[in-house]
Amino acid sequence: MNLVQKAVEQGGKLAPIAIPNTFGGMNPSVFIDKDGDILVNVRVVNYILYHSENKQLYPSRWGPLAYLHPEKDQRLVTENYLVRLNSDLVMTDCTKVEMLELHQPIWEFVGLEDARLVYWDDYYLIGVRRDTTTNGVGRMELTKIALDKENWVAKEVDRKRIPAPVPDASYCEKNWMPVLDRPYHFVKWSSPVEVVEFDGTQTKQVSVRQGIQPAKDQRGGSQLIRWGNCYISITHEVDLFKNYLNQKDGIYRHRLCVYDDQLNLVGLSKEFSFLDFRIEFCVGIAEYQNDLLISFAVADNAAFVLVTPRVIIEDLIAEALDA
Amino acid sequence: MLDELIYALSKDPFNPQLNFEVAVEYEKADQIASAVSFYLRTAEYGKEWGDVYVYTSLLKLAKCFNEQTDRLTTVANCLMQAIGYDPDRPEGFFLLSQFHERQGNWREAWVYARIGQNVSGDDFGYNPLPTDVGYVEYALDFEEAVAGWWLGRRDESIRIFNELLSMEISDEYRQAIEANLAVIL
Repeated sequence: MNLVQKAVEQGGKLAPIAIPNTFGGMNPSVFIDKDGDILVNVRVVNYILYHSENKQLYPSRWGPLAYLHPEKDQRLVTENYLVRLNSDLVMTDCTKVEMLELHQPIWEFVGLEDARLVYWDDYYLIGVRRDTTTNGVGRMELTKIALDKENWVAKEVDRKRIPAPVPDASYCEKNWMPVLDRPYHFVKWSSPVEVVEFDGTQTKQVSVRQGIQPAKDQRGGSQLIRWGNCYISITHEVDLFKNYLNQKDGIYRHRLCVYDDQLNLVGLSKEFSFLDFRIEFCVGIAEYQNDLLISFAVADNAAFVLVTPRVIIEDLIAEALDA
Repeated sequence: MLDELIYALSKDPFNPQLNFEVAVEYEKADQIASAVSFYLRTAEYGKEWGDVYVYTSLLKLAKCFNEQTDRLTTVANCLMQAIGYDPDRPEGFFLLSQFHERQGNWREAWVYARIGQNVSGDDFGYNPLPTDVGYVEYALDFEEAVAGWWLGRRDESIRIFNELLSMEISDEYRQAIEANLAVIL
């Protein structure tokens, strides 16, 4: 059984998020702000992920999994749209986030990717950018957003590139999970759990604790949010493999992670899918009216917000703690 | 509508017809990247032969990629897969002929129109497709006439165009034929 089915059967609701005048949206990040508004950042891209499932009888020219960008433009370009939903999860406002033009992109992956939405003294989008070097070095970036709610206009007003902790020598840092009630703190890695803090210039390691050891590497992921007397997040795990023609393929599944107050990983649910697609991705959760909103995408091509009844989350937490 | 379909799909996620209906709704909303994923699932989880949903989905994938522009290899690949799935239907040959006509590949456009005419000329009839893919029964003749003119078959083209004008055809085709004749006569 997939999580959507379970949630909806128990009173939840699934809402597709379609960005007007685009070909679709992906990797949405939901957040409830101090006004109680349901905000969602949605990634919009210039490519279509082509992913054949099942027996893979109808692959693309390049195999069962391919990013189909324009043939004369090899860039994979990301833009971000900020939307507001009403309590029925109907979109009431939508705007493209106007980004500062601070540099000319010099690698094929252009833009701020898989941005998580948070509010830490201001609205921030926190994602990975890989277009500042000629070889695609990726670093998390903190993009401060000025949001004019009356006219529904969102503009980037400041940007900070977040280094990895010293020696800051890794090739690509991505999918750090922001801890919502601890400004500028992130879970950088899940096994062991590595918590880092960005002070505006440098990133320092706050803690590294093994906690429970997942059978598969857990990757971010949603934000970490407070849930009762613990923290929770949703992480993903991926099996990447090649078929007999040496063409790449992959399967993504998710788990609910439970952390204590010191951000030790104390529980991990069984793996689950949202809609039984082989590629799904979650970058947002938010508590809303006693339930949990989970934002996710399937196949990089369609975005959703799922109202997940509290009882299901409590069951997942119990399952995680029993594991 | 889409919410209800997605919920139904969540209970039966590999149902090809449900995936198809979700894809159609996304396509109606111009969310063609989203539509692609669900058309592709329709094809992959549908029957391995004789399923109009599979065949139509492969044609629709081509249409979606064509609308995204600059993905010609993928458009052609999808049409070829549709024809490979059911080589006894004319719609795929028509769309492949039209695809090549629009690239100025006149020989390919003409040949695929002729092959399509051949399969559409049998007596077996076809199950109707679950949604419109742009095919009409005189479309292959139109493609043959257009491509043929560029291949030196001027008189044949004029004859086919005039025959089409004597038939009940859509305004779109009638206007196109009249415009073509105005140029070549």
